[in-house]
Amino acid sequence: MANQQQEEIVQTAADWWVRLREPNADGDTVEQWLAWTAEDERHLEAFERMNAFAERLGHLDRVSRQALINAFARPVPPRRHWLPLAAAASIAVVVLSGAVYYGWAHFASGDTTQTYQSAVAQNRSFSLPDGTKVALGAASTLTVHYGRDRRSVELRGGEAFFDVVHDNSRPFVVTAGDVSVHDIGTAFDVRRTGERVMVAVTQGRVEIADLRTGASQRNTLEATAGQRVSFDPNASGMAVDTMATEQVTAWRNDRLEFIDEPLGVVIANLNRYTSKPVHIVDADLNKLTYTGTVRTDAIDSWVGALPEVFPLRVSKETDQIMLSDARHAEQH
Amino acid sequence: MSTVTLSVHVSDIERLFREHNRALIAFLQCRLNSLSDAQEVAQEAYLRMLTMDNREEVDSLRGYLFKIAGNLAIDRLRKRKVRSDFAIVQSQDEPMDEQSPDHHAMAVEQVAGLRHALRELPAKASQAFVMHVIEGRDFGSVAQTMKLSERMVRYHVAHALAHCRARVDEKEVP
Repeated sequence: MANQQQEEIVQTAADWWVRLREPNADGDTVEQWLAWTAEDERHLEAFERMNAFAERLGHLDRVSRQALINAFARPVPPRRHWLPLAAAASIAVVVLSGAVYYGWAHFASGDTTQTYQSAVAQNRSFSLPDGTKVALGAASTLTVHYGRDRRSVELRGGEAFFDVVHDNSRPFVVTAGDVSVHDIGTAFDVRRTGERVMVAVTQGRVEIADLRTGASQRNTLEATAGQRVSFDPNASGMAVDTMATEQVTAWRNDRLEFIDEPLGVVIANLNRYTSKPVHIVDADLNKLTYTGTVRTDAIDSWVGALPEVFPLRVSKETDQIMLSDARHAEQH
Repeated sequence: MSTVTLSVHVSDIERLFREHNRALIAFLQCRLNSLSDAQEVAQEAYLRMLTMDNREEVDSLRGYLFKIAGNLAIDRLRKRKVRSDFAIVQSQDEPMDEQSPDHHAMAVEQVAGLRHALRELPAKASQAFVMHVIEGRDFGSVAQTMKLSERMVRYHVAHALAHCRARVDEKEVP
């Protein structure tokens, strides 16, 4: 009985703690809270214990803090079973013609910004004035700014592979949305799909920073050759796993490799390689997880085979392909 | 005349302090998540009360005290943010660990107990709790990430907080 009463007090104290934390809590809220603390001396006591508990949890050591965040604050997409797609294995040839890009005029002489843009289904390779080699994926945009003490590159969308000529006095930094990649003597790939960013290192090391968080909570990590770092704006941290060099750079040979990636991300990247874009009609399909290879010259047949592995329906129209949830379709 | 007003004023403040100091500190600790900051801000609030010149316009001294304290807490949180942003600029190449002195190493078994308690909760409750209480994100940012209303986030955090507090209590009190 006493226990149950104590539990109620703890719950009420927690409710008040949450209400009072709101910086906009008005005078009435504070008055009601004061009235509650005056009702019973155990009330303020319980509230003070709640404060002490929360303060302790808010100032945990870094390791415990990160472990708890990793375990609980990172939403895990539901895993679905998948099978390799035989249909995607057919081979054809994609002819690469010149991508649209803006030249290097006056570039080496001073602080100039250059923009590179590739067309749908067209990869492009070029070198920067310092000898750094760039391979730009299809439908991708890169802005390059070489200043006196910093080489800045912004990936606005799509994918790019960098083989960087290291220069200690002029760091090479790639930003993609809320992520920055700082070269420490290296070759690496950066792919940006909306606000999601994937960085895969094939040689050397890079330092990757999450630019969202200010303060001491800034998330920075170092990745070395063979590691892949994924940034999801909906997750609180960056995920690290491994990816082989052949897989990372497969796109340069017209194969897109995906490891445990949401279908929404897979489709968005395929769309950079097809003139007949694929649209996901039912948002829940975005969460299906896919692992496998897609040939950029056989996207149509890959999409056609999707219903064999996922509960979805494919509707081919003249200039686009629609994917809808098969379960929804049955209900109509 | 002014002397009389002032003396009444001071005794009012003293009474406020006697009767409500503990609640004021609790209120501020809740806002600031730091007992020492709460004590400092409370002191500053009393000073403001002593030097205010529009006492007649205030209907409730207690209400006014908590209002001043609440505003000072908001200022303090803002300054903290500026300071930590500045610290990042200063120490960009430094590793970002234990830079602040008030890190509390939690005993391994306590962290394990907390994890256990969090696992007993619905996933949304433990997620909201960890993001807000452990990670220090505000309700708005948690709501955005979880695609929930702020009201639901507060509900989850309160539920998880009470649950974890009760569980850890069981362990602490023999």
